[in-house]
Amino acid sequence: MSSKNTIENQSGIDTGINKFEKESVEAPRYSCALAGVYGTTLGIRGGIPILHSGAGCGVGQLFGTLYAGGESAGGNEGGTSTPCSCLVEEHVILGGEEKLRNLIESTIEIANDELFVVTSGCVPSLIGDDVDQVVDEFRDQAAIIHVNAPGFKANSSEGYNLFWDAIIDQLLPDEYLESEEKTVNIFGVVPYNHVYWKGDLLTIKTLLESIGIKTNIIFTEKNGLDHIKKIPQAEYNIVVNPWLGVRAVEKLEEKYGTPFIKFPNVPVGAKQTAEFLRIVGEKLSIPSETVENYIAEKEDWYYRLMEYPGDAIILVRPNSFYAVAAESSYAIAFTKFLANELGYLPDIIQITDNPPIEVREEIIREIRDNLDTVVQPDIIFEADTYKIRKNLENRPFLFLFSSSIEAPTSIEDYNALHIPISYPIYNRSVLAKHYSGYDGGLTVVEDVVSGFVGPL
Amino acid sequence: MPKQIAIYGKGGIGKSTTTSNLSAALSDLGYSVMQIGCDPKNDSTTTLRKGKSIPTVLDTVRQRSGDLDNLVHEGYNGIYCVEAGGPEPGVGCAGRGIIAAIELLDNNGIIDEYSPDIIIYDVLGDVVCGGFAMPIRKGIADQVYTVTSSDYMAIYAVNNLFKGILKYSNNGGALLGGVIGNSIKSSLQEDMIKDFTERTNSDVIQFVPRSPTVTRCELDGVTTIEGAPDSRQAEVYRELARKVINNKDKYLPTPFDNDDLADWASGWINQLLLNRKVEIDNIQEEASGI
Repeated sequence: MSSKNTIENQSGIDTGINKFEKESVEAPRYSCALAGVYGTTLGIRGGIPILHSGAGCGVGQLFGTLYAGGESAGGNEGGTSTPCSCLVEEHVILGGEEKLRNLIESTIEIANDELFVVTSGCVPSLIGDDVDQVVDEFRDQAAIIHVNAPGFKANSSEGYNLFWDAIIDQLLPDEYLESEEKTVNIFGVVPYNHVYWKGDLLTIKTLLESIGIKTNIIFTEKNGLDHIKKIPQAEYNIVVNPWLGVRAVEKLEEKYGTPFIKFPNVPVGAKQTAEFLRIVGEKLSIPSETVENYIAEKEDWYYRLMEYPGDAIILVRPNSFYAVAAESSYAIAFTKFLANELGYLPDIIQITDNPPIEVREEIIREIRDNLDTVVQPDIIFEADTYKIRKNLENRPFLFLFSSSIEAPTSIEDYNALHIPISYPIYNRSVLAKHYSGYDGGLTVVEDVVSGFVGPL
Repeated sequence: MPKQIAIYGKGGIGKSTTTSNLSAALSDLGYSVMQIGCDPKNDSTTTLRKGKSIPTVLDTVRQRSGDLDNLVHEGYNGIYCVEAGGPEPGVGCAGRGIIAAIELLDNNGIIDEYSPDIIIYDVLGDVVCGGFAMPIRKGIADQVYTVTSSDYMAIYAVNNLFKGILKYSNNGGALLGGVIGNSIKSSLQEDMIKDFTERTNSDVIQFVPRSPTVTRCELDGVTTIEGAPDSRQAEVYRELARKVINNKDKYLPTPFDNDDLADWASGWINQLLLNRKVEIDNIQEEASGI
């Protein structure tokens, strides 16, 4: 399968670039590897990116990552405040190490941050700057890592994986720390690229802490470096994505022997959340009574609330077809939720984050095997906005769950109501809003029903 | 319009020596010559300058001096010497350096200012990336010469250069002017290079024999033309100069595929080795019973 999906250049050398990525040309649903590391770093409170790249690589992420992630600015460390070596031709020809050295030195001096993430873009990778050696000079002065993330090498999702590779290999200690019982770390929710990351992470934390599990979500919480340093102490790592963060938890298992629990998606709604809590509770030896009591309490609340929009759904838009175009985790979660909890019919599911070939079968199976409906959707892996739109033509769906790119013309083009769930989202300010957990499932219903009720 | 030629050859093959002697000989014939060294080692023009090196184009970039008046330096017999220069070994991107240097010369009208009759680019011959192919792109050199010995790797580099010429030929790039056989010690070596050119539809324009005179002059920091003008070797270079100036041929060679080149070469290498063994062991002498 992989040979079919990889491009060979004229000399017959496998370039490692798969066909899917090579052919994506119009408004892809991700940015480059550097952007992924950049966004991930900004997700850490007290983390500061130091870009070793041209100036545009950072500024471009204002629209490419930050505003695209639910109109979120980059804070003190991001946006136009980002430290960047701003390489020009002189550095391309003669090397940019000295400029980077000066930049790191001044950043450590000026910035009130704890974790310095030197991120190499295309230029230093092409010309072969020895960035590792420059970063080594500062390791005794600050918590500093180097992430080699040339934009041509991978997309922003993979940038999240590269970030964790660097943290685990360069920052976390080699020796085994005594693990703390009933503690977990959460992986697989990518800052900015998973637009509802802030709310989803907090929800996962609240859910698990409700059944007695101390949860380190690493991002969004103050003293981010402390949270990173605590990673090796966890009893389990949890990853809520079919491929992002998976490499990190495997690495942590190898390094510290920490086992991991893998879920294909962030849990959305009562069914997925209950399953999530039961599996984690069992692995971490939480008394099943505790777990079941919590689930029962939340479901009682949840299903009473679900009755309120019942009339609107049943009378106005019952058993509607829907289309999803989203990154793997949300595509899986929404497809299952809408079919299994609203009784809606999956029409076409497009996965937009370009997961590696090896996990695509797994994603397809996860969707196909878990739908309580006789309708089987078409499942397509596509990141090219033009092709995504073409794939949506002449179909029966009445709801479109995708990026904001489709929002303005969704009614006109497809006669479908649009709900923005996936990167990029420029038409919503996303702060604490989320779709995970019990309340998140209700929020999906609110968004669906709000689209067709009213207007007065 | 000046005649613009590019001379390529594998590193260490005698390319700069040949180029400098060619420049010196052309200058003696009365032409105004500019030699532009396109190699980060920046030693192309040293024998035209009594062994002294000159500041390079990229030095001005490095120092941010913006001083464009200090790029062209006069050498032997008024030859205009320019060195593109480049990064320290193991740092930066030399290929981009060549591109930037040529663009800088071009955009600032520096070459036009001196209006030489002939411009010779002396380029590292392993065309490893786009930068080193810059001189054969449209609008720079229009004729390419390549210097080679009978070493397999030197011929391999020539074959690669031929591929580069083919690539740019559709877009108005430079075409081949001929092959210069260098460091020739035996007729068998000449035969090997001749055979290569026949099979690749190219021509040898001149064979340059290996000569201690060249080495001695180089140690003195001068070209053979300057240091030993009456030597036989100097006459060879003058003959080369006359041929180059009169050569209007521009054509597309047909390079070997890599596997075919290796097959072709193995036969010749065996013969050359056998020849050398005969020389060293004096087998013929013994066999003849003398």
